Amino acid sequence: MHNIFIIARREYLERVRSRAFVIMTFFIPLLILGVTVLPSMLMLRGTKETKRMVIVSPDRDTAEMIRSRIEQRQEEQKPGQQEDGAQVKRGGLSAAHYTVEVSTDASEASRTALTEKVNKKELDGFLWATPEAVSARKLSFVTRDTSSFIENGILGQTVSDALRRHALKSKGLKEDDIEAALQPVDVEAESPLGKNAPNPQVMTIATMVMVMIMYMTVLLYGVGVMRSILEEKTSRIMEVMLSTATSKEMMAGKILGVGAVGLTQVGIWAAAGSVYAAGPLIAARAMIKNVLSPSLLIYFAVFFLLGYVLYSTLCAAVGSMVNSEQEAQQMQFLVMMPMILAVIFIFNIFQHPNSPIALFGSLFPFTSPLVMFGRVAMQPDIPWWQIALSIALLLATIYAMVWLCGRIYRIGILMYGKKPTLPEIIKWIKYA
Amino acid sequence: MHTIELIKVRKSYDQFVAVNDLSFSIEQGRVFGLLGPNGAGKTSTIRMMIGITVPDSGHINLFGKPFERTGLQKIGYLPEERGLYKKMKVLDQLVFLGELHGMEAGAARQKALEWCKRLEIDAWVQKKVEELSKGMQQKIQFIAALLHDPDFIIMDEPFFGLDPVNATLLKDVMLDLKRLGKTILFSTHRMDQVEKLCDSICLINKGTAVLQGDLKTIKSQYGKNNVQIEYEGNGDFLEKNPLVSAFNNYGNYVEVRLAPGADAQQLLRMVADRSRVNKFELMEPSLEEIFINTVGKTNA
Repeated sequence: MHNIFIIARREYLERVRSRAFVIMTFFIPLLILGVTVLPSMLMLRGTKETKRMVIVSPDRDTAEMIRSRIEQRQEEQKPGQQEDGAQVKRGGLSAAHYTVEVSTDASEASRTALTEKVNKKELDGFLWATPEAVSARKLSFVTRDTSSFIENGILGQTVSDALRRHALKSKGLKEDDIEAALQPVDVEAESPLGKNAPNPQVMTIATMVMVMIMYMTVLLYGVGVMRSILEEKTSRIMEVMLSTATSKEMMAGKILGVGAVGLTQVGIWAAAGSVYAAGPLIAARAMIKNVLSPSLLIYFAVFFLLGYVLYSTLCAAVGSMVNSEQEAQQMQFLVMMPMILAVIFIFNIFQHPNSPIALFGSLFPFTSPLVMFGRVAMQPDIPWWQIALSIALLLATIYAMVWLCGRIYRIGILMYGKKPTLPEIIKWIKYA
Repeated sequence: MHTIELIKVRKSYDQFVAVNDLSFSIEQGRVFGLLGPNGAGKTSTIRMMIGITVPDSGHINLFGKPFERTGLQKIGYLPEERGLYKKMKVLDQLVFLGELHGMEAGAARQKALEWCKRLEIDAWVQKKVEELSKGMQQKIQFIAALLHDPDFIIMDEPFFGLDPVNATLLKDVMLDLKRLGKTILFSTHRMDQVEKLCDSICLINKGTAVLQGDLKTIKSQYGKNNVQIEYEGNGDFLEKNPLVSAFNNYGNYVEVRLAPGADAQQLLRMVADRSRVNKFELMEPSLEEIFINTVGKTNA
C-alpha cells in the first residue's frame, strides 16, 4: 500500500512539475480566453476613438432622422452605461464613435469631393442617402472602415430603422406609437420541464463540451499511462523497482498518479471556467448555473473516474506488451476505438436519447462513461435502473480488466524483443 | 548463517528450462560469484531470488527464513540492464528509490548526498539523469542499490562500461562493504574481476551448476600444472604440442595446461629454442581457463 503511494506521488509530482503540464494547463484556458474576450475588449477600447461621417440627402428631414438614430444607438452602447454585461450582444459593439454631420448637397461634384476627402483620410465615411437610393432600398456608405459598425450591419439596421420611423412619421403617426410599434420582441427557447430548467440549446452545448472534456482527458491520460509504462520498460528502471515493489503496486501507483494529474488539470480548468463565467463578459452565466447542477457534476466525476480507470488499465497492459512507440500507437488505436465510436455517434444519441443505439451505448462498458453521462445530462427523466445497471456493468468490467491486465502487465514488463502474439498473451494470463 | 539458500530451484518458460534444479547457498559476509556464459540462467536465478518471478518448484530461503517479500527491503539490486528515469533529477530519483526500500525521505536524502560525495558526483545531484555521462549514470545506479544499507547486495555485471578509475572506485566500495559484513553476489562472465574479489563461486551452464565451491579450493584442485608464457616469435607450435593438453591464446601471452606426465622444463627448453621467452610461470589455472574448459566440456 505504501509503495503504491510512493509510486503514485512520484508520477504525480514529476508530471505536474513538467513544462508540458504547465503549458497545457495554463495555455489552453488562456487561449480560450484570448479568442473570446480579447477581441471584444479591443473593440470596447476602440470606442474612445472618434470618427466623422457625413450623411448626404437632399431631404434634410431624412438625414436628420438617420443622424439622430445613429447617435442614439451609439449612446446606448457606451460601455460605461451598461447595467449588465449580459446585455452586450455581439452586434452591439461598434469599433468607433462617429460624430455625424448632415449635408443636403447631393450633386455629383459633392460626391466626388467627399470621396476625395475619405481617400485623404480627412473624413471617415459618408452615407449617400438620396431619395432614389432610399426608394431602391440600397444606400452606399463610402468608407475605409471595416469594423463591426459596417460588417455586423449596425449601420444598415440603424438606417432601416430611421427610414421606417421617417415613413411612419410622414403618415402622421405619433412619436410614442411609432416607438411602441417598433419595440423588438425577444423569443427564447424554454424547456417543457419549467422555467428554471436549463435552455435545451445551452444544455446540448454544455453537455457536448463536458463529453468532449471527458473524452479528451481519458484519451490523453490513458495514453499517458501507456507511454510512461513503456518508458519504464525501455529504460529498464522497471527491474530496480520490481526488486522491492510488486507489479500490482506499480500498475496501481501509475494509474492513480496519472489519474490525479488528470483530475488536477480538469479541476484547474473548471475553476478557471467558473471564474471566467462569473465575470461580466459572459451572457449566459445564469443559464450555465442552471445547467451545471451539483448532481450533474457528480455524475461527471463518477463516469470520468470509471472511464479513466477502465481505459488506463487497458493502456497499462498495452504499454507493458509493446517495445516501441510505433507498436504502442497501433495498439492504442485499437484500444481507444470504442470511445472514438461513441464520440462519432454522440450527436445522434443526443437527438434520439431513447434509440436502441443510445441504450446499447450507455450500457456497453467501453462506451458507457461518455454515452451514459450524455444521456443523464440530456434526459433528466432517464430511468434510474439504467443508470444503476450502467455503473454496475462498468464496475464489473473494471474488476475483470484489472485482473486480466494485471496478469498481462506482470509478464509483459519483463519481456523484451518482439511484440507478443495473441496466443502468447493468453499464455501470460494463464501463468501462475 | 546463510544469507540466501537455493534448494533445487527450477524455472521454465514453456518448453525452455531456464533454471534446472539449481542449489547453492551463500554464507553471510562472503563475496559470491554467480558465473556462466550468456543465457546460462543467471538473470533468471536472480529474478527468483528477489521475488520478481516465482520458482516452478524448489525452495528459496532468505536471511535464514523461507522467502518473504519483507526481506526484499534488505536487498540491494543492481540489474544488468541499467535503468533510471531520464527526465528526473538525480537526487529526487535516489530519494524515490530509497523510499521504495522503506527509507524515510529525509534519511534517504542525506544518505544519497553522502554517497554522491563519496563517488564524486555531488556536483550533479540537481541535474537530470539524461544530462549525465554513462559512467555517472552507472554510479547513480550503484548508489541506488546501496542507499538503504542492504545486508545482501546483488550486482549483475557491476563493472560493465566503467573506465578503470571508476572500476577501482567501485571495487574499493565493495571491499569496504565486505569488511562491514555484507553479503555480495556478483553475476558476471568477466572472470578476471571475480578472481580478484570472490570467496566462492557457482558456475552455471544451461541452468545447471557445473562447478561450485570455495574459489581457492577449486583452483588448488587443478594443481599447479598450468604455464603462462610470454614470448616473442611464432608460438603456433604450442597449440599442437604433445606436451600440452589445452591451449589458450590471450594475445599478449598464452596459457597452456601440461599434458599428464609432461615435464615443464622440457616445454621451457622447447619454447626457448624457437622464440625469445620473456616470462615462463608455473601456476594454478586462471578462473577464465577453468570457465572455458568446464563450459566447453558441458556443451560438448
